[in-house]
Amino acid sequence: MTTLKIPSGRKLRLAAFLAVMGPGIIAGLSDDDPAGITTYSQLGAQYGYRLLWVLVISTLALIVFQDLGARIGVVTRQGLIGLVRQKYGARAGSFSAVALILANLGTMTAEFAGVAAAGQLFGVSRFVTVPITGLLISFLVLRGTFKKAERVFFVLSAVFISYVIAGFMSHPNWGSAFHGMIVPSMPFNKSAINIATATLGTTLAPWGLAFIQSYAVDKRLTRADLRLLRADVWVGSLLTGVIGFFVIITCAATLNHEHIFTITDASQAAVALKPLAGTLAKDLFAIGIIGAALLAASILPLSTAYSVSDLTGSPAALDDKFDEAPLFYMTFAAITIVAGGLIMIPGISLIWILISSQVLNAILLLPLLAYMYGISKDKKLMGEFVAGKKALTLYGAITVLVAVCVLSQFWFMFHL
Amino acid sequence: MKRPPVTSINTVAKRLVGRTDLLISRKSVRDSLVSLAGLIGRPVLDLTGKEIGRLVDVVVRHGEETYPPVTGLIVKVANRKSFINGARISKLTPDSIVLSSLTINLVEFERRPGESLLDADVLDHQIVDVDGLRVVRTSDLYLAPFDKEIRVVGVDISFVSFLRRLFPGSLSRRATPEHVLDWASVASLTDSTGVVRTSGTRSALSQLRPADLADLIEDLAGREQGALIEMLDPDLAADALEEMEDDELEGLLRGLSAERAAQLLALMEPDESAEVLRDLDDEHRESILSSMEKATAKQLRQLVSFDEELAGGIMTTHLLIVKESDTVAAALKLLVENRERDSSDGVVVVDSKGKLLDHIQTVELIAAKNTSLVSDLIAKPFPTAVAISTPIADVVEEFSNNRGSSIIVIDDKNKPIGRILADDLVDALSNKTQRGSQSNGVRS
Repeated sequence: MTTLKIPSGRKLRLAAFLAVMGPGIIAGLSDDDPAGITTYSQLGAQYGYRLLWVLVISTLALIVFQDLGARIGVVTRQGLIGLVRQKYGARAGSFSAVALILANLGTMTAEFAGVAAAGQLFGVSRFVTVPITGLLISFLVLRGTFKKAERVFFVLSAVFISYVIAGFMSHPNWGSAFHGMIVPSMPFNKSAINIATATLGTTLAPWGLAFIQSYAVDKRLTRADLRLLRADVWVGSLLTGVIGFFVIITCAATLNHEHIFTITDASQAAVALKPLAGTLAKDLFAIGIIGAALLAASILPLSTAYSVSDLTGSPAALDDKFDEAPLFYMTFAAITIVAGGLIMIPGISLIWILISSQVLNAILLLPLLAYMYGISKDKKLMGEFVAGKKALTLYGAITVLVAVCVLSQFWFMFHL
Repeated sequence: MKRPPVTSINTVAKRLVGRTDLLISRKSVRDSLVSLAGLIGRPVLDLTGKEIGRLVDVVVRHGEETYPPVTGLIVKVANRKSFINGARISKLTPDSIVLSSLTINLVEFERRPGESLLDADVLDHQIVDVDGLRVVRTSDLYLAPFDKEIRVVGVDISFVSFLRRLFPGSLSRRATPEHVLDWASVASLTDSTGVVRTSGTRSALSQLRPADLADLIEDLAGREQGALIEMLDPDLAADALEEMEDDELEGLLRGLSAERAAQLLALMEPDESAEVLRDLDDEHRESILSSMEKATAKQLRQLVSFDEELAGGIMTTHLLIVKESDTVAAALKLLVENRERDSSDGVVVVDSKGKLLDHIQTVELIAAKNTSLVSDLIAKPFPTAVAISTPIADVVEEFSNNRGSSIIVIDDKNKPIGRILADDLVDALSNKTQRGSQSNGVRS
């Protein structure tokens, strides 16, 4: 055949898009949201290089499950929640939806907490920053100018890549870092388990799993696009891990080194950027936090609303009108208002919210991972993409690991 | 792609709503509805009221009947799933099923062709609401005795009924007929063995416009999508496929067997088929083409090989060609024979060597005597013809110069090999606008 093999315009555009700003990369950068940065900072400050292996495992788990989510979305062309309803029935579907809503609500609260904390660095009250943020996000997303805004947030959140430079400039102990990455050691006490669970929950976040799958469905990606999508997911997940790694070693080399073991407010976390930015560390930190918070806060209520309407069988999106998709818009509003409202409770600790929400993530992750495990081995749904023995072992092992973390967490909560 | 406002939705809806033969509108049926979702897990009793086991699933047979009859039950007896023939059911209530005998044969369930399991295959799965033209999930299914058998008569797609199922106890089993759609107005698509065929849904689907059908196909998940295509009449399916977005269609073809894909592509307009085939990878394209009739495959191969920026890449090869020595009657006969698939407004006339002479309008043929030769009708104005390698921009210029509705494409020996209709050109140009800057080089 003499056919000239010219990639069609769509494929080229898709490749270019995924390479620059695909869902995997967006999810990756959004994982390094205020909650993520705070959790990683706390891990580094408190335990130095010792718990780096928790991040390594969390990143591997992220790659494995994001990859699975992408595959499920492309092959079944259904969102996660709808699929759980179809396979496991009405109660399971509702249960998974509730788990996802609670997890996302927690993370959304954390995004507001991040903005509030960044505002406080400059002496602006959260009673000002939080309502403004809520209105700004709703306005941008509902007015449809969200795409442009998303790019701005994306660039702002990329400020956190500066942790990579700060990491080198803080002269970390590379030997200890390497040792911490590959040799697991775990102090069995409440705060260590808490921060390890939060690290797992912030890295492998429930919303990311639902997001990647619904993205594939909504953008009608086909099996031909799967390779590109998977590459995007891998790159995005690795990016999360790499930034997390540098946040931890920077905090280990600065905060932990200077015996600041507990982060109680954002200005302490910002100290980690001093080797790079000096007196501007606070400003750099605030910009990154605000960018990442806005990026994640724009996607979170949308992704949640999509999943909830997915439960009813007709996934809705922004191009539907209110009376066509009331559930979609009500979920969007509820998530934004409740999360914003929680932050406005007088005297509530922002750092506590930032880390606890991620522990909650890990707990609610458990049923979702179990459902995904079940879907992945369903030949009827997955066809030729059905998971083999090795893959299932891997999914199972990660699920069990999360379960162990969560159970230890409960054990310390109720017995000590 | 923006589609024109759909007027036929209303007509279809009216037709369905106005139908008096809908079972669900009968009072006797409405009063005896049993919720399937509520029934699952309930006791199956023998004649004396002793519990035999618990209901796991209900088996129905899809055939020519609009309302599928229950052919059996899957019952969990002492931790083993067994099949009980549907003929043994004596009474169906929302809380239990009573059998008509004391002894039952417990046999392993084996799915027969055309059967599906209501809980495993239909409940909570996607179905097409033909009435509302959308894809929904089934919240519940309703069974009722009718015409000597227990049948699926209604389907519930409301969120309220979905929420009802979350409650414990008898509340979850209460039928809510106010939300029930008649089974005849939906198309259920899932079944692990193949296709659920109900004559009612098929005829309802065949009333839809291809563009609406294309939207429905795009909204369905992979397996259901394949099932819907299988259910449709091939001609209608091909029409719907032509209306689909290119990338959607590409994904759809991946899910079909090569034979089925070949059948549908052969029925589509050749230029549309070629456009899709061009986007497939070589291996997949070959497997589809090799399942086609030789002549069709050859024609499509040639079309695929043309650059889509040139006349050859956007033309349709469907031409009605007559020789100058043919009679007017023969030309008219050709037009009539092809009236189904061809929107052509006339025939192309060639000489004995196959070279292009003229394009003759249908009206001219009708006006002429049946016995006269086509050659008598050859006269000015002669049709505009372009070579295969003419850039699209030049084709556009030819169009605007001549104000015709089509242009004929000829090969280097002056033989007509295709036609470019105004709408092909619109398609080609709108594709290009979407691609943006890539088209820079074409405008001369």
